Amino acid sequence: MSRPGFVLEVDDRTPPLVVHEGLGFRLEDFPPGTRVIYPPESLPAIDDVDAAIREALLNPVDADPLPTKLFAGMRLTIAFDDISLPLPPMRAPDIRQRIIEAVLTMAADAGVDDVKIIAANALHRRMTPAELKQIVGERVFRSFHPQGDLYNHDAEDRDDLLHIGMTDKGEDVEINRRAAESDLLVYVNVNLVAMDGGHKSVPIGLASYKSLRQHHNPATMVASHSFMDHTKSHLHHSAWRMGRLLKDHLDIFQIETTLNNDVFGAPYDFLLKREWEWSVRDQASMLAVRRGLGAAPRRLRHKLFHDLRSPYGLTGINAGDTEAVHERTIAMVHRQQLTEVQGQTDVLVMGVPYLGPYNVNSSMNPILATCMGLGYYFNSYRGQPVVRRGGAVILYHPLDEGFNQLHHPSYVDFYEEILAESTDPAVIAEKYEQQFATDPWYVHLYRTSHAYHGVHPFYMWYWAAHAMDHVEEVIWVGADRRVAQRLGFRAASTLSDALEMASGAVGTSPTISYLHNPPHLIADVR
Amino acid sequence: MRKWAQEGLEDVRRVADGWRWGRRSQVPRSAEPFVPARQSTVFHTDWARTRAAQVAREVAQKGALEPLFRSQVRTSVEGLDVLAGLEGPVIFAANHASHLDTPLILLSLPTRWRRRTAVAAAADYFFDTWWRAVGSSIVFNTFPIERRGGTMATTPGEVLADGWSLVIFPEGTRSPDGFVGRFQFGAAYLATQHQVPVIPIAHRGTFAAMPRGQGWPSPGRRRLTVRFGEPLRPGSDESPREFAPRIRDAVAALLDEDRSTWWEARRRAADGATHDPAGPDTAQWRRVWEQTATVPAPEAGPRRAWPD
Repeated sequence: MSRPGFVLEVDDRTPPLVVHEGLGFRLEDFPPGTRVIYPPESLPAIDDVDAAIREALLNPVDADPLPTKLFAGMRLTIAFDDISLPLPPMRAPDIRQRIIEAVLTMAADAGVDDVKIIAANALHRRMTPAELKQIVGERVFRSFHPQGDLYNHDAEDRDDLLHIGMTDKGEDVEINRRAAESDLLVYVNVNLVAMDGGHKSVPIGLASYKSLRQHHNPATMVASHSFMDHTKSHLHHSAWRMGRLLKDHLDIFQIETTLNNDVFGAPYDFLLKREWEWSVRDQASMLAVRRGLGAAPRRLRHKLFHDLRSPYGLTGINAGDTEAVHERTIAMVHRQQLTEVQGQTDVLVMGVPYLGPYNVNSSMNPILATCMGLGYYFNSYRGQPVVRRGGAVILYHPLDEGFNQLHHPSYVDFYEEILAESTDPAVIAEKYEQQFATDPWYVHLYRTSHAYHGVHPFYMWYWAAHAMDHVEEVIWVGADRRVAQRLGFRAASTLSDALEMASGAVGTSPTISYLHNPPHLIADVR
Repeated sequence: MRKWAQEGLEDVRRVADGWRWGRRSQVPRSAEPFVPARQSTVFHTDWARTRAAQVAREVAQKGALEPLFRSQVRTSVEGLDVLAGLEGPVIFAANHASHLDTPLILLSLPTRWRRRTAVAAAADYFFDTWWRAVGSSIVFNTFPIERRGGTMATTPGEVLADGWSLVIFPEGTRSPDGFVGRFQFGAAYLATQHQVPVIPIAHRGTFAAMPRGQGWPSPGRRRLTVRFGEPLRPGSDESPREFAPRIRDAVAALLDEDRSTWWEARRRAADGATHDPAGPDTAQWRRVWEQTATVPAPEAGPRRAWPD
């Protein structure tokens, strides 16, 4: 039986606690009284995954069974979440592979010939063939990729985009043409956090820049409270309007899955346990891993971490109508990740780990680290932010990984040129977004190489806009001072120093909360 | 390389300190409600009552435990004459304030009784690791009992039926402040079920010498007193629920006797005015304060005919 999440109050019996920081982690002694928010323990996984998939496809929610939608001569498109989910990537077989295989089995039985499988990567980088194969499996890959029927969505391919119309708020809805003109679009989702899924799948995953910019902008991001609650997120409100418009033009069969919190397998499973419950073996593992990481060069550390594959278990699968399915999905995500927290705090502490959605097999550059800390982790709340308005955020990350030139070319220019001039999301958006979004070289790299779209670093900065607007002080512990300064933040060597630096905003005896993440959690702040 | 080694040493130091190496681990107070129920492991302790184990125990108790114990504390034992007319087995039921209680009782018993006495010990505490289980079984002849219910390899009834007397602490756990807590029904149940007498035992001073959280007796050879009471026999139709308070009352009377005199304690018992062993309803510090006072030494030798 998995235990619920809870809030620890640090006392004299509390051992040092794990804080992730990039390609490593540290043990931190938090001041007595610090609240530490732990996620619920991993929920039990479904034993017979194939039976659960079949059950979901044959008995969908508010929709006809999938086999009744399949017929010879139809155009079937299967879209799936790209490599940004789940984090870390899942141990083979990936759940998307198993679902796509089940859908294709039914399609084959129905005599469907025209099938395309599209990675819904929006403005993310194109996945390599090996990465595609990792997600869909060898059988699907061999059947579709050589023929060009398994491919990445291209948000800049004007010939393969279709403008569907405008929402009642005047938002352009433009998505992948093949998907839009199909008789049936099956979307295969992995719902790692509450932000994913629902109408964020098709209207965003298969959208063009023209459509994405409607909601990926500072004004919308600042007004999304939070991304983890689609009912209170302006970003999601926009996506929902687009999704409802799409529903009138397109038959979408949404398949959503939820995973448990088994993020780390052995020998890193001690990272999933509450520290005071570490066995001697866990303590020895931790010491060994710490020393190993301490001796390893950065390249090896990078490989050690990025080669991790999570032993996630499936906790739920629902298929059918997007909104009805998503309600069930969210309920399960909340069961796995929601922890009730009473009231806000003066200081919020978060450790930024080695991995975020946009640096799988890549580098956690300073902009992505900011997005991870102030974008995703800060927004891991429901109700109100864990930290009060005017409070301080303390993040752990060395900010020393640099940039991956293949994946993040526009990030380099964004960091060197744009952030040198301003760190204000609104100012940046106004003055430079268009320039980066339409730069032919960035567009070329996005379409032909494996680069994120030119506008992507802007979006990362916008993700952090709500946090930047909300808190007074952001301090990075253990970070390169020059990098932190370029980002518009400050760096400290230790937690004590960071608290001292934050005292101007929160006083000398602030209340402190530490978000013990990963594994994933959502603070339900009352 | 040197820095790496230093960091490694620092890590080990922090882990040794944070996770209390060599000491029992602790749970942060706010996390206590979330501690999972421990999976009960069945430990077989029959071997601890074999002839070879008895020999090993005799060596351990007389060769190591007793000298060590007496080097750390002073004891005064009263009331052993109650055992004179008994054959055994019996149940020794005592108040529980410290880990010193068990050696105090065992080492106070006459050799014949000590060698045939087993100690009921909490499975979740003394049998959570193999080395703790083996160690306590060899030295103290412990066998596990489940405080929260669970599977047992050997039941206390079986140990009794084999002719072994038992030491049971009916409170189930050590007192947090030295005063006597509620008595559970285990000892009373066993006595009524197997129709064996209960010897009430009251002791004082162990809390002051080595309370909860302390791993070694306080310096200064604190004084411990232990007093054995008249055997209590359950009535033929007496239920454990009725018998348990009688055991507690007997322990209370012995505590009273230890503080005053046998006569005064008897008078108060007759009047129903025995001091409540649960202690006064005062602030916690006052309760601890009272219990940590040094037990006064009994008057030594015959009263002098001609005072100084």
